[in-house]
Amino acid sequence: MKNTRDTKLIFDLSRPGCRGAVLPECDVPAADVTSLLPASALAESSPELPEVTEPQVIRHFMNLSQLNMSVDTHFYPLGSCTMKYNPKRNERAAAMPGFAEVHPYQPDETKQGMLEMLFGMQEMLKEISGLEACSLQPAAGAHGELTALLVAAAYFNDFGENRKKVLVPDNAHGTNPASAAMAGFESVTVKTNIDGGVDMEDFHSKLDDDIAVFMITNPNTVGIFESHMRELADAVHARGGLIYLDGANMNAILGVTRPGDFGADMQHYNPHKTFSGPHGGGGPGAGPICVVEKLATYLPGPVVEQGECPDNAGQTYYSLETPAKSIGKMRAFFGNTGVLLRAYCYIRTHGPDGLRAVSDNAVLNANYLLSLVKDFLPVPQGGRCMHEFVASASKLKAERGISAMDIAKRLLDFGFHAPTVYFPLTVKEAIMIEPTETESKETLDAFAETLRTIVGEDADLLHEAPHSTDISRPNEVAAARNPCLSCM
Amino acid sequence: MPYLYNTSDDQAAMLAAIGAQSIEELFQSIPSELRLDRPLNIPPAMGELELEQHIRGLAAKNLNGSNAVTFLGGGSYDHFVPAAVDAVASRSEFYTSYTPYQAEVSQGNLQAMFEYQSLITRLTGLDVSNCSLYDGGSSAAEAVLMAADITRRKGRVVVAASVHPEYRQTISTYVANLGIEVVTVGAENGTVDIAELTSVVNDETSCVVLQHPNFFGCLEDAETVAQVAHDAGALMIGVFDPISLGLLKRPGDWGADIAVAEGQSLGTPMSYGGPVLGILACKEKLIRRLPGRVVGTTTDRRGNPCYTLTMQTREQHIRREKSTSNVCSNQALFALRATVYLSLVGPEGLKSVANLCLQKSRYLADKLDSTSRFELVFNSPTFKEFVVRDKENAVEDLVADAAKEGYLAGIPLGGWYPNLADCMLVCVTEKRTRAQLDALVEVLQTGAAKASADELIQAGI
Repeated sequence: MKNTRDTKLIFDLSRPGCRGAVLPECDVPAADVTSLLPASALAESSPELPEVTEPQVIRHFMNLSQLNMSVDTHFYPLGSCTMKYNPKRNERAAAMPGFAEVHPYQPDETKQGMLEMLFGMQEMLKEISGLEACSLQPAAGAHGELTALLVAAAYFNDFGENRKKVLVPDNAHGTNPASAAMAGFESVTVKTNIDGGVDMEDFHSKLDDDIAVFMITNPNTVGIFESHMRELADAVHARGGLIYLDGANMNAILGVTRPGDFGADMQHYNPHKTFSGPHGGGGPGAGPICVVEKLATYLPGPVVEQGECPDNAGQTYYSLETPAKSIGKMRAFFGNTGVLLRAYCYIRTHGPDGLRAVSDNAVLNANYLLSLVKDFLPVPQGGRCMHEFVASASKLKAERGISAMDIAKRLLDFGFHAPTVYFPLTVKEAIMIEPTETESKETLDAFAETLRTIVGEDADLLHEAPHSTDISRPNEVAAARNPCLSCM
Repeated sequence: MPYLYNTSDDQAAMLAAIGAQSIEELFQSIPSELRLDRPLNIPPAMGELELEQHIRGLAAKNLNGSNAVTFLGGGSYDHFVPAAVDAVASRSEFYTSYTPYQAEVSQGNLQAMFEYQSLITRLTGLDVSNCSLYDGGSSAAEAVLMAADITRRKGRVVVAASVHPEYRQTISTYVANLGIEVVTVGAENGTVDIAELTSVVNDETSCVVLQHPNFFGCLEDAETVAQVAHDAGALMIGVFDPISLGLLKRPGDWGADIAVAEGQSLGTPMSYGGPVLGILACKEKLIRRLPGRVVGTTTDRRGNPCYTLTMQTREQHIRREKSTSNVCSNQALFALRATVYLSLVGPEGLKSVANLCLQKSRYLADKLDSTSRFELVFNSPTFKEFVVRDKENAVEDLVADAAKEGYLAGIPLGGWYPNLADCMLVCVTEKRTRAQLDALVEVLQTGAAKASADELIQAGI
């Protein structure tokens, strides 16, 4: 049933003279282009685009879509990425012209509904994080990290301090040290211990007065809550440093504990994870940040403020303001409002009790799955977990040559997306599993049973996996050695 | 809750398997003094119907494409989006999938990204493209970081004042803690002052950033600016409007080493400025410093051709603190929209869109210029935007009054350019009809039109 003819490259489907879109005739008196624009600026030939009809375009991309696994079609236990169900009502909301067809530079009085929604979002994110100020501008989680570090740099510079160090645990997301480097800081790695938490001895040995920020993920990437959080935060604060909370794992703690209450001065959110925005094959996401009061003045602008209507006292009016000592802008315009609107709908759907139920069930599902798999797939930090856990194939690798990658690839044959593998780097042959709250017990049972089957299979069968997919494992070394990134 | 499967029986069975008495017990590792001892103070839950009514109510408070006519541009454009773009992008196998780490089950996304990269390199006349960044502004900032690293010049970045003000702000924010100086070169006559530019570009300059057509809609002498940059050993970063390439020379043809753009014009709605699409393409020699993800071709174990993410050594996965990019989530779905859009319009369609923008904006510019109240400010040729001066110096009031009639007339420029406080930037896309153009002139002159924007829209003119 596979249609390979129409999944050839779109360029190979091109036939001169075909059209997929025909524009109207010009309804104003038209002048010759060469009389309006200088010849030196004009292209000498037509743009090199394919010539295809609309049905051809639709058939091509519909067939391509069928080559993807997605949350709507498969279980996607991708640790750290929080691939939960993406509610359809949120898509309908974002497509309404009243949101989708609003221009960023419209006068404030013509977009009060948009600003009301965004103000509401700022308020809810502040409350959920326990922090005092919010900027919705960053366009992705890593963009939020960079934004927060630039806010921290501006804060220290304001006081004439030139702190250079950012501490990052060795099990942190790779974006943390990368963001630190991009923001002009030196990244210093802090070890984690056998229990998966920050090694307090190593932490204290690296703490000095040059510390700008300690970036911590909590719950961390092996799925445990850093129980020494208060001590960590107090020690950094005593040195004048700031605590940054990587909010990638907020799904575990909604309404349970708040970063602002456990010592964070700044945090980003990944609304596309925690609040169910679709991941879009890699994006878009958003990366709003919340900060404590003393950092509010450095936030990128504009932010939405609530006041009274200038012409109509007593009526609520929303306006855009740029904080006094703002670092400036991290992108043009306001932010990824379409993603924020989906997250807004998600939070309004749940309310306080519902958000707490999300975390309850995310943590329940993860612990249940952990209890099912730990006997045949060791989980080094596997007593209890938060919303995810990290298993290890190192014993299987040593004894039978079966790697984390082999297991990941074999899962594809059974109709499950692979978990995250080889991250965090602190666990050998890591397999990081996050079921999320939107999966059923039946799915988790089936997944665990499949994992059990796979680890019992012949090693050679696993090395060759996947067997049922359109392609088998790509030669990534060849791809990188001789990059071919476009068709000429 | 509508998205949670587990019944209380399920929960009890799961807790029993775990060996826990309650869900609360699973949170034991969080010290009690760090717990929130009350419900979150956010509004109560809403059902789907209530939510829909609430959102419709908020949407109704916004002027938008269904009840207003927009002449606003400045980097976000009201171009036509064919329905087929929405049909493809709303396929949930595309929009609910993740970054294609597992190539075997992501060939659809990977091939679409490869096609996007191919289209962008052809469109720009450059060798390689990544598969998207956040937006035009952050892409410009990433390009500046690339240039500083490649040239090993950490001294100076030279930016034309005619580059989008928010792109310039973004560049400044990105380099603020890196010790790089941003020098802005004036554009008093609507295009960058080339004499001034030549005087500030020196052997510590990593790059020159130019937008063409620029923020004022004017065409720059891009080739000369590129020559100035190259003569000093600096890289040329060109900010372009993808739609303009239906008529204009490609950035690669006029000398850009790195080309960046806001790709929203290519099939993505304005959405109040986001999410949109950051385009970045560059010459092959800069490939190892290309930020973000890229897709390449290879073969699988059976020897069949396939696609995979590649060159990830530049990224945060492997080198961590030595990585040259922290991009993780990008704008893949909007790269897909651009791919579908460009496939649909093809070479003739893109030329048509560009030509309609050009002809209609000239028509409106000439009409406003011929009134007693308005005059065009700059002499340079323009593409789809132009700057018009209100001789009565009441731009903010004009814009507010026109909005009451449903016409979003223009972007006042005083906030970014104090010397243009009596001016506004007006944009005309292929979607504007002659009736709408004529009505705007009437509204701006008299404060009212025979027909409000909503009436024109309802009448289909």
